[in-house]
Amino acid sequence: MGGPVPTEAWVALSAALFAIGAIGVLTRRSAILVFLSVELMLNAANLALVAFARQWAVAGTQVAMSGQTVVFIVLAIAAAEVAVGLGILVAIFRDRVSTDVDTLSEVRL
Amino acid sequence: MTAAAILIPLVAAIVAWRLPRRVAAVVALVGTIATFLVATFLAGAPALEIAWLPALGIGFRLDPAGVSSVLILAASLTMIPTVLVAGRHVGERDAPAFLALLLVMQASLNGLFLASDLVLTYVFWEATLIPSLLMLGLFGGDRRRGAVTKYLIYAVSGSFLMLASILALRPLSGAESYAFADLLPATRALDPVTQAWLFAGFAAAFAVKLPLFPLHSWLIDFHRQNHPSGVADVAGTLYKVGGFGFFAWAIPLLPAGAQAFQPWLLTLAAVTAVWGGLAATQQKDLKSLMAYMSLSHMGLVGIGVFSLTAAGMNGAMILLAAQMLSTGGLFLLSGMLHRRRDTFELDAFGGLAKSAPALAAVTLLVLFAAIGVPGLSNFPGEFMSLMGGYAASPWLISFAALGSVVAAGVYGVNTYQRLYQGRAREGTRDLNGLEVLVIAPILAGILWLGLAPAPQIARIDAATVVALELEVDTTGETTGQTPAGAAERLANDQEAIPAPDLALGGEP
Amino acid sequence: MSDPAAWIALVPAIALAGALINGLFGRSFREPFPGVLATVVAATGFVLSFVAFVALQGREQAHVALELWPYLQAGSFDLSLGVMVDPLSVLMMLVITGVGTLIHLYSVGYMHGDAGYSRYFSFLNLFIAAMSVLVLADSFMLMFVGWEGVGVSSFLLIGFWYQTKANADAARKAFIVNRIGDVGFLLAMFLMVATFGTLNIAEVNAGAVGLAFGSGTLALIGLFLLVAAAGKSAQLPLQVWLPDAMAGPTPVSALIHAATMVTAGVYLIARTAPLFSMTPLASAVVAWVGALTALVAALAALGQTDIKKILAYSTISQLGYMFVAVGVGAYWVAIFHVFTHAFFKALLFLGSGSVIHALGGEQDIRRMGGLGAKMRITGTTSLIATLAIAGVPLLSGFFSKDAILAHAFTSIHLDGYGTYGLYGVLLLTAALTAFYMFRWYYGIFGGTSRMTAKAAANVHESPATMTVPLMVLAFFAVFAGYLGLPEFAFPNWIAHWLEPATLGELTEVPFRHPAAWVEWMLILASIVAAGAGLALGWWIYAARKGAPIRGLAEGPLARLSRSGLGFDAAYRALFIGGAEGTASGVAVLDRDLVDRGLLGLGTALTFFGRLSARLQSGFVRAYALAMFVGVGVLVILVAWMGVRA
Repeated sequence: MGGPVPTEAWVALSAALFAIGAIGVLTRRSAILVFLSVELMLNAANLALVAFARQWAVAGTQVAMSGQTVVFIVLAIAAAEVAVGLGILVAIFRDRVSTDVDTLSEVRL
Repeated sequence: MTAAAILIPLVAAIVAWRLPRRVAAVVALVGTIATFLVATFLAGAPALEIAWLPALGIGFRLDPAGVSSVLILAASLTMIPTVLVAGRHVGERDAPAFLALLLVMQASLNGLFLASDLVLTYVFWEATLIPSLLMLGLFGGDRRRGAVTKYLIYAVSGSFLMLASILALRPLSGAESYAFADLLPATRALDPVTQAWLFAGFAAAFAVKLPLFPLHSWLIDFHRQNHPSGVADVAGTLYKVGGFGFFAWAIPLLPAGAQAFQPWLLTLAAVTAVWGGLAATQQKDLKSLMAYMSLSHMGLVGIGVFSLTAAGMNGAMILLAAQMLSTGGLFLLSGMLHRRRDTFELDAFGGLAKSAPALAAVTLLVLFAAIGVPGLSNFPGEFMSLMGGYAASPWLISFAALGSVVAAGVYGVNTYQRLYQGRAREGTRDLNGLEVLVIAPILAGILWLGLAPAPQIARIDAATVVALELEVDTTGETTGQTPAGAAERLANDQEAIPAPDLALGGEP
Repeated sequence: MSDPAAWIALVPAIALAGALINGLFGRSFREPFPGVLATVVAATGFVLSFVAFVALQGREQAHVALELWPYLQAGSFDLSLGVMVDPLSVLMMLVITGVGTLIHLYSVGYMHGDAGYSRYFSFLNLFIAAMSVLVLADSFMLMFVGWEGVGVSSFLLIGFWYQTKANADAARKAFIVNRIGDVGFLLAMFLMVATFGTLNIAEVNAGAVGLAFGSGTLALIGLFLLVAAAGKSAQLPLQVWLPDAMAGPTPVSALIHAATMVTAGVYLIARTAPLFSMTPLASAVVAWVGALTALVAALAALGQTDIKKILAYSTISQLGYMFVAVGVGAYWVAIFHVFTHAFFKALLFLGSGSVIHALGGEQDIRRMGGLGAKMRITGTTSLIATLAIAGVPLLSGFFSKDAILAHAFTSIHLDGYGTYGLYGVLLLTAALTAFYMFRWYYGIFGGTSRMTAKAAANVHESPATMTVPLMVLAFFAVFAGYLGLPEFAFPNWIAHWLEPATLGELTEVPFRHPAAWVEWMLILASIVAAGAGLALGWWIYAARKGAPIRGLAEGPLARLSRSGLGFDAAYRALFIGGAEGTASGVAVLDRDLVDRGLLGLGTALTFFGRLSARLQSGFVRAYALAMFVGVGVLVILVAWMGVRA
């Protein structure tokens, strides 16, 4: 194969994954699958960050390091958010025996 | 001394609030009489200035010169019989609160008239609204909820726009503080477009309060739903200070804005006068009739003020003072009639002159005063307002004069006849001692303003001269002044351009 | 106040005091004390007026001005209240207080036994006070105070017996029609201030003379003043209130609606003589209004059957004569006619009061007749008054009416406005006047009795308190005219007396001075007209007992005449319906449109609020979509605008 994979390809992949995740968030009714899609979006973002980090790695380490550091932060946040979210979900599931997102419509005026 | 006009009623209110009815009534009466006595000496009293928020240019500034003392005098005189009625004829439980609200309202009203700092004026403007709302909401009739809501929304909408103008006024004009004397030269120097916008903000609030057609609907329900003794209505009459706002603040500070809006405002005022008069002729109950009559009078005040002539503005203010007595007196009389028949419907009365001749005579006198019969209180003001209006717009005012004067004749005489003439179904008792005491100050005031209004008009005129000046040469020697105060103190320095008067001149 | 001529200024105060005493304490007085008090007050007024009259004789400047107190002020305009004592005001005061005293005296007897005895005299004194203020005022403002004051007194007195709805309605009608006239007065004042900067009568007159002859402003002021005068003096088109005003007690009709208040309009124009002399247009309108009114009223009088309504229309007609006089510029002539008319018209009214009193309340002349024998004094004095008003030579009415006709004929001021037409109308009206007044007299006092049995049993001559005033008035009805003999051949005191007070030094109104024989022909023409009217009346009513006219008297023309030529009906159709409709339209619009309209604004806001509330659906996926869309928009925005630091 000739040379490393170009950054554009990685960004395209990242965009595709993000889109799939977005569509998943908007169209899935099961709460677990919504979480899955959110994770997908977050990791798509991570992918884009890593791709750009590698691109700028040659130029100067500052930029490269920032990219990778942000990825770690995002991973951490994703984990935390999933933990909290699944906890809420379990609590709701205990009450309703359903994870259908459309039924969670009590927060309104 | 000046502040006493505010403090005395306030203290009386606080004291009276918790006392039993009899004692509260006495306290209130003493308070209003004391306030009236203070008011008689107010004309020569010194201005007061206390620092309040100097960083923002706001100070506690009072100045009794000019129109303030006249209006406070008329208002205090009217308050005395009002408090008498409230003490006697509002229920045992409600009376102390009612009296306290009345007195608080009087205190803030006096403050409103005295204030020579624009923000302080706004504070008192809103402060007077609250007791008025409470009197309507707590003690009113069956449909008071709607009336309160309407009143509140109208008043507050206007006030917010005024607040916007007030807050913008100082930064835009670069005045040192919110004192009238500091604002005057600065705001007059603004370009006409800015003045017009700022004026519009003020006009919103004052037009609602005047009230000016078509923003007058709150007034009708306000009077219909108020407590039947007429006490809250009198208070409401005193609080119709839209005309005062135009006279004392909007027009002097923003003359270009005033001129820009003058055709519209003058036309609306003329319409108000005629509209109110015509509608009054069709009303079947006393309260509605007096509400529309009051509207018509306010239209005349509007004509006077928006004429932007000396005669018109003097007339408007003295009419404002006069109608406090005449319209207030009519509300108290309608309260007396209500106590006899338990209703305000005109059909329930008739032929009462035979059994109650004194009541009939007194009602006739006050009614004639209200419709502007010469020799009685409302005539000088009505005359000068129309005179000033005529100079500004002859055709419009001819129409307004014809409509409102004839309509006034119709509803005035009609009301008297439906109440007192014709065949009597049953008689009623004549004036008792308390009622005589109640009506005496009103009658005295009506005759006083009708026969010898000149001293009061002279005080108002001093303010008008400043209000209509196109240029004012200030040496900035004093602050915290109302228009007349400024006039008196700057008389030596100002370059007087004669007030746009009425000499149109005939053909040569 | 050391000048005796100035003491007349006390009259309003004295009269007001009398009114207050009777008003506040009257019910505790016993008859006839309130009446006596009021009469004494009026008599005092007469004495003071007479003193002023005497004091002004022979003075170089027959004019006393007295300043009272300041009233209005506005910038450079200020107005004080003040009194003006001059020949015109003194003459008017003499009439007001003189005839007034006689009528007060008469009322003592006439109102005997009435429940509102003291109230009546209180109002009567109030009227004297207001009327005095009107004629003594030195500014239009103070005159207006008196002007409306007499309107108020008139309202109170017409509706005196207020338990009857018709009386209250008549009072209301009078007040409102007067108010329409008052608007004219107000507008005139506004225009005066705008033009001259003052409301002082003398200053306005002086200013008027300084403007261009025939200027539009002066004409407009004049027309506004005419509206005011027409309202108060019951001229076309505002004459409709006066016949109805007969609902009041007869002495009131005599004093207010014959002798004094209704002449206030004439007085107003006479006072502004210099102004009117500068505007032929306005003067012409005044004259023609007067002439047409005179004719229309005379036609209406022909068909009336009420003893007082005939006299009411006669009053309107005679006032029309006075308006013609001031219109052509013969101001002193108009006041002269006011003077003579006051006597014979008051006499006519008091006479009818005597008759009504004697017949126990009957007012329809078809049920009278033959009273001359039973009521000698009333009958004789009424005859004198009838002849005077008809213009029979050597009685007072003859001189004043003839002077009006002569001046109309010889007017130069109104050249081009049909002065001969004016003359013709007035001459015709004179004949009509003689005719209907004869009918009045004969129908009551002559011929055979048509009275009801009850009335016939009661008939008696009135007491002295009523007949003495009749006799005094009759004396003046005969002799008052000699003060104003035709100028072309005889000395004329009244013209000289009034001249300085009307036109004065300021200006002159020219008249032709034809040869003496022309003047005598004019006098002859008046006599012929009067004679023709009387003769026709005699022939129809006395000789033929009403036969020639019986058919006509039942027909549509008679009905039209009786209704006052249909004016009331016309006004109802044209104006009142429209006004009522407008007013109720306003009331309804205010409730439904303005009120609900602005509430509708609130409803609209609430609607939008509720719409936006739908966003808060609680639907999680919707929120998520919103977030995505929002982020998307932000990203596009940032990309488009470029990233800023």
